[in-house]
Amino acid sequence: MSKVYFSYWQGEVIDNRGVEASDCKEASAKFPVQYDVDIETKAFVGWDGFVLFEDDVDVVKLSLNYARQYQEYSEACGRCTPGRWGGQILYDMLDKIARGEGLMRELDHIKEISLTMTTTSKCEIGKTVPVPILAMIKYFEEQFISLIKEQKKSPWYDTNDEKYISNVTAPCSDTCPAHVDIPGYIEGVRELHFEDSLSATRAMMPLAHTCGRVCPHPCEDACRRVNLDKAVSIMELKRVGADWETDHALAHEWFHPQKPQKPRNDGKKIAIIGAGPAGLTAAYYLGLQGIACTIFEELPVLGGEVAVGVPEYRMPIDKYNKDIELVEDLPTVEIIRNHRVDDNRLKELVEEFDATLLGFGARLSKAIRCGNENTEMKGYWGAIEMLDKVNLWHKYRIGSPAKEDLNGKTVVCVGGGFTSMDVVRCSIREGAKRVVMLYRRDEKTIIRNTTLEEYTEAVEEGVEFIFHSAIDRLIDEDGQLTSLVVNKYELVPDPDGGRAQLVKIKGADFEIECDYVIPAVSQSCDLQILPKEWDLTMTSWGTLQTNGRDYMTSKDGLFAAGDCEYGPMTIVNAVGQARRAASVMARYIYDQKVSLTDSEIMEDHMNKLKVFNKNEKITGWIPGIPREESEKVEISIRKDSNVEVNLGFTAQEAQDEAERCMRCYYLSMVAV
Amino acid sequence: MSERICHREKTVNVIIDGKQCQGQYGQTILEIARANDIYIPTMCYLTKVSPITACRMCVVDVQGVDGHILSCQEKAVDGAVVTTTNDELFKQRQNIMKLYDVNHPLQCGVCDKSGECDLQNKNVEFKVNTQEFAAKDLNRKRKKWGILGYDPSLCIMCEKCVHTCNEIIGANALYIKPGGYKSTIDIRMSVCEQCGDCISVCPVGALVSNEFKYTSNAWEGNKIPATCSHCSSGCSLTYNVKYVGSVNPYANEITRVTNDFEFSTLCGAGRFAFAFENNFSSKDEEAFKNAIEAIKSSDTIKFNSYITNEEAKLLQVLKDNTGIKLVNEDALNYQNFLNTYKKASGNSLYTGSLEVIKQSDAIISIGSRITVDNPVVKYAINEASKHNRAQFVYMHPIDDVYLHDKYTQFIKYEVGSEEGVMALLASYLINEAPQSYKDYLEDLDIGYLSGETSTGEEEFELIEEKFVRCKNKTLIIGEDLFAHSCATNIAKFVGLIDKYTDFSVVLVPSQTNTLGVSLICKLDKDVGSKVVGYNEVGDFIISDNGNGHLQIPALNQQEGTFTSIDKRVLNTNVALNFDGYCLNDIVNEFLKYKIENTIDYTLQLPLNKGFKAIAFDDLENGYNKNGIDLRGYFLKTSIVKNSKEIVLDEVEDINTYNGTVIYRCEPLHQFNKNTKKSLLLKTSNNLRGSAAFATAAKIKNGDTVNVIYGSQTQIKKFKIDTSIRGTVAVYPTFDDKLMDNLITKGYRFKQVQIERQEV
Repeated sequence: MSKVYFSYWQGEVIDNRGVEASDCKEASAKFPVQYDVDIETKAFVGWDGFVLFEDDVDVVKLSLNYARQYQEYSEACGRCTPGRWGGQILYDMLDKIARGEGLMRELDHIKEISLTMTTTSKCEIGKTVPVPILAMIKYFEEQFISLIKEQKKSPWYDTNDEKYISNVTAPCSDTCPAHVDIPGYIEGVRELHFEDSLSATRAMMPLAHTCGRVCPHPCEDACRRVNLDKAVSIMELKRVGADWETDHALAHEWFHPQKPQKPRNDGKKIAIIGAGPAGLTAAYYLGLQGIACTIFEELPVLGGEVAVGVPEYRMPIDKYNKDIELVEDLPTVEIIRNHRVDDNRLKELVEEFDATLLGFGARLSKAIRCGNENTEMKGYWGAIEMLDKVNLWHKYRIGSPAKEDLNGKTVVCVGGGFTSMDVVRCSIREGAKRVVMLYRRDEKTIIRNTTLEEYTEAVEEGVEFIFHSAIDRLIDEDGQLTSLVVNKYELVPDPDGGRAQLVKIKGADFEIECDYVIPAVSQSCDLQILPKEWDLTMTSWGTLQTNGRDYMTSKDGLFAAGDCEYGPMTIVNAVGQARRAASVMARYIYDQKVSLTDSEIMEDHMNKLKVFNKNEKITGWIPGIPREESEKVEISIRKDSNVEVNLGFTAQEAQDEAERCMRCYYLSMVAV
Repeated sequence: MSERICHREKTVNVIIDGKQCQGQYGQTILEIARANDIYIPTMCYLTKVSPITACRMCVVDVQGVDGHILSCQEKAVDGAVVTTTNDELFKQRQNIMKLYDVNHPLQCGVCDKSGECDLQNKNVEFKVNTQEFAAKDLNRKRKKWGILGYDPSLCIMCEKCVHTCNEIIGANALYIKPGGYKSTIDIRMSVCEQCGDCISVCPVGALVSNEFKYTSNAWEGNKIPATCSHCSSGCSLTYNVKYVGSVNPYANEITRVTNDFEFSTLCGAGRFAFAFENNFSSKDEEAFKNAIEAIKSSDTIKFNSYITNEEAKLLQVLKDNTGIKLVNEDALNYQNFLNTYKKASGNSLYTGSLEVIKQSDAIISIGSRITVDNPVVKYAINEASKHNRAQFVYMHPIDDVYLHDKYTQFIKYEVGSEEGVMALLASYLINEAPQSYKDYLEDLDIGYLSGETSTGEEEFELIEEKFVRCKNKTLIIGEDLFAHSCATNIAKFVGLIDKYTDFSVVLVPSQTNTLGVSLICKLDKDVGSKVVGYNEVGDFIISDNGNGHLQIPALNQQEGTFTSIDKRVLNTNVALNFDGYCLNDIVNEFLKYKIENTIDYTLQLPLNKGFKAIAFDDLENGYNKNGIDLRGYFLKTSIVKNSKEIVLDEVEDINTYNGTVIYRCEPLHQFNKNTKKSLLLKTSNNLRGSAAFATAAKIKNGDTVNVIYGSQTQIKKFKIDTSIRGTVAVYPTFDDKLMDNLITKGYRFKQVQIERQEV
């Protein structure tokens, strides 16, 4: 809910003009009422309408400035006739009215050009820019007409007293934790400019190979195409540009979003703990700006949990290494391997460096919490440790093959998230005779927590899923696990309409004989690294607390991003947080202040407002153009090999899929 | 394979403006409409590239769907009912035209495009007769980009040129410089190939040829459909011929070359090198008599493959009746290669074509600097690279920077080691074959061969790995291999790859009609004691170039046919008249024949080689509306069943090339004396090489050097060229005055001595 003077948004009109303060209605959307600390917003204009927070806003001026912001946006576009010329004409005519030279018929012209823009523009931005302008003319027509009638220049015309801040987003980009320019990289694929596609991705996310393969793609839930037929296959299209670069690697320099700046060599430097997705991302954006940074990595290999946790068949290491090389090749990025940072070392680093980013992840397997649970029991194997062993062997030939342990054995995994999927599918590949996944909830939920592809592939490969079940106790003989006692549950609806409850079914317990139980219920952070005396503020779930906007911890100059801040979450979440943290740190090291840029502030405001509207009716596109599915390696081959399961789109499929993208860019603006 | 839905094979039925239309899933509404003769207006649509989606003119209505649908990009779904025009759509299109007209300069009176301008045409169509909207004008500067001229104020940002440059040509020189209303097209000059295809696709007068500018109106003169005579791609083109009697003693002049740009593409040679006619166009009876005498007293006619099929046939008729030797080294090498390939593969002709290359998702090119040897083949490779994301393995002793964004693997092999390379390739590519071949391939000493050729076994393994999922594979064989001392054995390997793998093969003919000549003529290896040169050096020279003893018409002054890389007989027509004698006159005189026209021989081309008994006048010209090339006909091909197994030779020890090595290779868009004649292509004839070559040869950039080969010395200027890597220099011969330069003969790499001339 937002307090407004007047608002028109998604068809809802709140008109508090001349209404007593006590009778004022509130708008239902979460508008950016307060732009920033100490900065009130006067008005907000966006793709769906406009909002006035104060009664003295000049609407003509507001409309003109929105049209101007569109012109500024067009500086990076102007790729269709209605958008390129229409936007210019719209601006010119509003300007004419504002400077007292407008004619009545120009209001009709504005409406006519607006209609052409709304019905024929290439992107949603061209289609939606006229929406608030037409609404302003509709609800505040008198302001426009009086200027035309009096042929008088608006008093503000030559002044510059207000600040307008604009932002371009899209429902998918807004929902993506890294705010990747999704329509941008899809356009690169559509136009067969794969290098442009990749640069667009890398503007917000350096791990294009990785997030083109193993991202749970929350963006696809916010794809407007969902309202029409099925979401665009956003994630897989990301991979196209990355694969193109790798295929043509002999020929090219890296496709960076911008030319990396020269090393600053000004003595400023940043320490990064952990070479996982968060650490690599922060290093990349600092490196692009020429800022020196050093990553300290405990393991002999780079990439963090994605390297040692995510199996080869989902995320081939040679591809991930390309993402890593991209970062490591930047001249100001230094990576030190085999360097464990403990609390004492961290104290030294904080002294030595101008800022420090913690990105050490969450790598402790949590317990099952069942009877007779004993981590020392033979056959009890934490998911993280198990996946470390599998991946270190297959990707780096470190250690020994897990096949020696798992071949012919029965493995039971407790979980329901990505990690547990990795455990069971790896177990199949390591030759386990029987692989069971125990999950407390149902099939629908496991699909929601992972992806349909992941679940389907696991079933195809022979994983046995037992739903509504949980381990009651472990049974061992002389410290060797022999079997599990499992409780069976059922979902009992709440008579009061609340959330259904899981209730144990009496007498339905059963026993599974097994050689291994692998808990993959969740992970927690190894907090030994944090000096006790710093007394850092922690979340209730044992991670470093920040405000979720600038990612500074309760200690000045100490930042945190990724799983160690959020708890076990996605790669893309770590990327988004780390990029923001890098941006904040890049300023902090010079002024010791924590600040956000306007575009970052707007990014957060739009995220609160929610850009995606699941009730919107889509026009101008034919429903029923099928979503492309990429080819997968056949089960008989992939079951006992580590070849990448997903072969990716063919060129034709990629282009067909890219053509489904509706380019839902939206322009928003605040006046402060 | 997990179960997959293939949408593309499904048929879709749609109703467009009341007409039942059928198409295949994947086709856009616009494509189906056009195939069914239903008109939808467009400004930015270009058939040969992917949808550009800039103009928004092609919007249509679909029943049950709110809003207008972009027909150029949106695929037709089964059952859709489409309306292509109504008042509302007309209004929106009219508005788009009004926007296009914002500040468009009203200089149609002097604009090159006037009369064939899409903006003019669509303004008429949508009844826009005033410039309704205006914006603050910008100072937009005209640009000169070599041969191209760009006027940003005329540009409507349809982006056709940019798409063509990227998707077809593969230069990726043109790009959009965004800036909203200020946006323009810009260029990376260092990679522009000056092909001029951007000029042809420009719907307005924004991109023009600087030389053509202000010389002619679009509607003036005759349009002569023809086939390009510069290389074996045989592109369709139109000579624009204008009467210039008052300023030029030759009453007609070719003012420019245009093409069916919707479907076809020309390289810079085709577009700009059109003024190569023989200006000595009168009947010199004395010279004619001398020519007859010369042929009588000679035992050899020496010629090249820049002639028509009919000329080749006439030469063969002379031979059949007099026994005179026909010597054409280029065609003979090709003929031998083709014949051996035929025996090994069982195919009467090779299996690939330009279209097959375009459709490929895996390509290997060997034995050619393909970018310059045949630009159109490079375009096809680029299309495969962009549209199919094709794996492209470029195998050559010299790297080519212009292919860097196209090849996925470069295999550099030793100069002279082609036989070994081809043996290796065969051993990696051929899995299933009769036992004798398998034994042969298994017995190959891979380690030794990869050592000798300087290729790594892992490079061949990588090809196998990368190609494993590819479905359309093509092997492109270039000129280096035809003239190789081990050409026979190489041709056998090529034939076997064709027969026992799923590769298609293209043997790129080295000159315009190399394939035709090699099919039509029975060729001799060595010249006799007295030689008549037919466009070649000889004791008596018959030439279309103005510099021989008897003048004959050039290829733009003749009608006849060429046999192209696509194994296709393509007809060409007379753009400019020639009033002198031609080969047919000589043959008539010599054999007392009364054959009226050269093209009467079109019917007599050898049927047993795949030619058809179709008269020249029955051949059609140009493209139809669906993009089908109507010219000529395809040679008939056949597969020999149960062909005998051939015997592979031992791979010979590889001759090592030490010291300074040069590679006979022309600059881009130069092929021969005809392209050289063009004033539009101002290419230098320098010997070009890397800095490393200069150091090895002890010469410097700009030096004049003696290139000594055998007993001959040629003088060249040397330039360092950063686009050439390695230690082999590139030696052009297109300008060769001394036509018996030994460097132009045989295998293209030559070990030479290079001496710096003292100043």
